Amino acid sequence: MRTLFLSTLLAIAGLTALWVGTDGGRAFTAETARRLEVREHPKPVPNWHLEDQNAKTLALSDWHGRYVVVDFIYTSCTSACLTLSSGMGNLQREFEKALDKDRLRLLSISFDPEKDTPERLRHHFSHFSGEGKYWVATRPTHVVEKKAILDFFKVTVIPDGMGGYTHTAGYHVINPQGRLVAIFGVEEYSKLQDYLTIALAEGKSNEG
Amino acid sequence: MKVSRRSWYLPCLIWGLLALPPLRHVLELSMITHMLVQLPLLAFLGWWLGQAFPEKLKRRIAPWNRWGISGMVLVVATVLYWMLPRALDAAISEPIFEIAKFIGIPLFIGTALSLSWFQLNYIARGVLMLEFWAMFMRLGWLYVVLPDRLCANYLLGEQRILGRALLIIGSIWAVIWTLRILFGVRWKKPKILASNPSLSEKN
Repeated sequence: MRTLFLSTLLAIAGLTALWVGTDGGRAFTAETARRLEVREHPKPVPNWHLEDQNAKTLALSDWHGRYVVVDFIYTSCTSACLTLSSGMGNLQREFEKALDKDRLRLLSISFDPEKDTPERLRHHFSHFSGEGKYWVATRPTHVVEKKAILDFFKVTVIPDGMGGYTHTAGYHVINPQGRLVAIFGVEEYSKLQDYLTIALAEGKSNEG
Repeated sequence: MKVSRRSWYLPCLIWGLLALPPLRHVLELSMITHMLVQLPLLAFLGWWLGQAFPEKLKRRIAPWNRWGISGMVLVVATVLYWMLPRALDAAISEPIFEIAKFIGIPLFIGTALSLSWFQLNYIARGVLMLEFWAMFMRLGWLYVVLPDRLCANYLLGEQRILGRALLIIGSIWAVIWTLRILFGVRWKKPKILASNPSLSEKN
């Protein structure tokens, strides 16, 4: 009897732990959990200061009132960042109108600020016909700030054993109120397009 | 029966060494050592500790764990939880999960197993072992073919190596098992049960 009682109790506790630990059977990896969390609890993005490809300082709060798509890169990258950057290049073409009307901005943040000087960021841009007007490549100016940014977005960067890095790759969407509202993986590029199209259209109708 | 002081002292000492930053970091640096060295070692220490439990305590636990059922429920739930890639990632990036791992795996897997396994009905034992083996093979296959990284803290290459390692270990295990069945080698009765008829009688 006591065994039945205890084992039932343990089974319930175990299932609860699994249920809570996977957000109700929805997130088995840290990456899915990260995306889910942002969707359900958008969090305000702190106002960081970044140095852009022209060595000018940029504060994130300057971009309030616009949608911002953020990706994380390092310029010596040979894999994920290339996909990410060409995706950003596509966004730049497809959402030209929104960019022109000052309703959308694209932001690449380098997590390798020691190597990625403004010159290198400019050079990186030239591969993806980034004109640098609405799509800005930046680097954190301080190690502490870099850590804070990566922690906030829950971006994990690990050395790949060949002098480079392997990192969480995705497009992070910040809404006009300055909240991180959605994350799309590299493979979800078309979902990102749909999301932005709808979001920008809604914003337009709100403005009247 | 007098339990020597050393028998519980040693696993705790090794546990402490494993928990100290140098060894902990080294083992967690790679997915392979994390999953195939650190976690099994923690479970083993728990088992060791369970063997050193005083008879009095064992006798007090026994009515709550008849046929080893409660213990096995705990083991299965804990194993399932720590198989989540997310849990493994959390153990590296969040101290609370790291602590949970260092306490949960020895006690809820190792100790619970040592107090329950040999009381378990032999059919249940066979089913669990087969299922555990299948888990090795399934996970191994998954890690080899999966194009995406499951853990944010580990490289895809490591995931693949781990997959192959799991498949190899699983295969060796299967061969040993087959030989055992073919040549009729039976499980030995463990010392604790042999020396403690009060426990084995409850079977």
